[in-house]
Amino acid sequence: MTTDRPIFIPVILGTVRQGRASEHVARFVLGEVAKRENVETELVDIRDIPISSQDAGEAVKDSKFSATVSRADALVIVVPEYNHGYPGMLKHVLDTNLKEYIHKAVGLCGVSAGGFGGTRVIENLLPVLRELGMVTIFWDGNFSGARKLFNADGVLLDADYIKRIDKFLKELVWMAKVLRHGREHISLE
Amino acid sequence: MTKTTKMICPDCGVEMNHHADKIDYAVAAAAVDVAQESAIDPVLGGVLEEAHSCPECGKTQLRPKAPEESDTTQS
Repeated sequence: MTTDRPIFIPVILGTVRQGRASEHVARFVLGEVAKRENVETELVDIRDIPISSQDAGEAVKDSKFSATVSRADALVIVVPEYNHGYPGMLKHVLDTNLKEYIHKAVGLCGVSAGGFGGTRVIENLLPVLRELGMVTIFWDGNFSGARKLFNADGVLLDADYIKRIDKFLKELVWMAKVLRHGREHISLE
Repeated sequence: MTKTTKMICPDCGVEMNHHADKIDYAVAAAAVDVAQESAIDPVLGGVLEEAHSCPECGKTQLRPKAPEESDTTQS
């Protein structure tokens, strides 16, 4: 059965900023994804993607990132809220692909220094992902007070987030399985 | 009723599943020759592309949407 293939859910760390609090969040979420049975994952740090700023879109596509997204059944995007918006570099990276995203699931983990857990950046990013052809889920990860959520070694200090991310990932994996079946077996015509 | 030719997965050799149509407005905006202009759907205002995925390996391929052919089967 082709459905026996593991679901692949890379975690995208969506900021290049020095001292980013989102890195601890991304590594925590990556660990939670990796614990799930028949699910594979890897961290995609957009800082490591060599994309020119001299053009945009598929003209500056990075083959490694493209291959990762192409293989993916779903994405987790860990996105900090900068002035209520998403990092421009994340948008620049996301815009380099198209067919790789169509009818794939995406879940968002917002990160903020304040108490709203990146809710505003999540709302801003949703229409972008919809236009890319992705399917969003109705659970989010909301990481408030990000500077105080982890110790210096990146260890999570508030265990409540484990249960919250478990609910988020259950929904994301379900959607990833449903959409894979749809992509591969349900005809548009 | 319409029918189109199935895409074949370049890696697995099996029939792929057509699961989405995507409209590309960028080609229309940048069209420089007759061939590109003729590919623009006059109603939708862009070039329609079909997304096909392989049931064996999951690979997705795009292709310009084929002109619709009438089903000649008579009943």
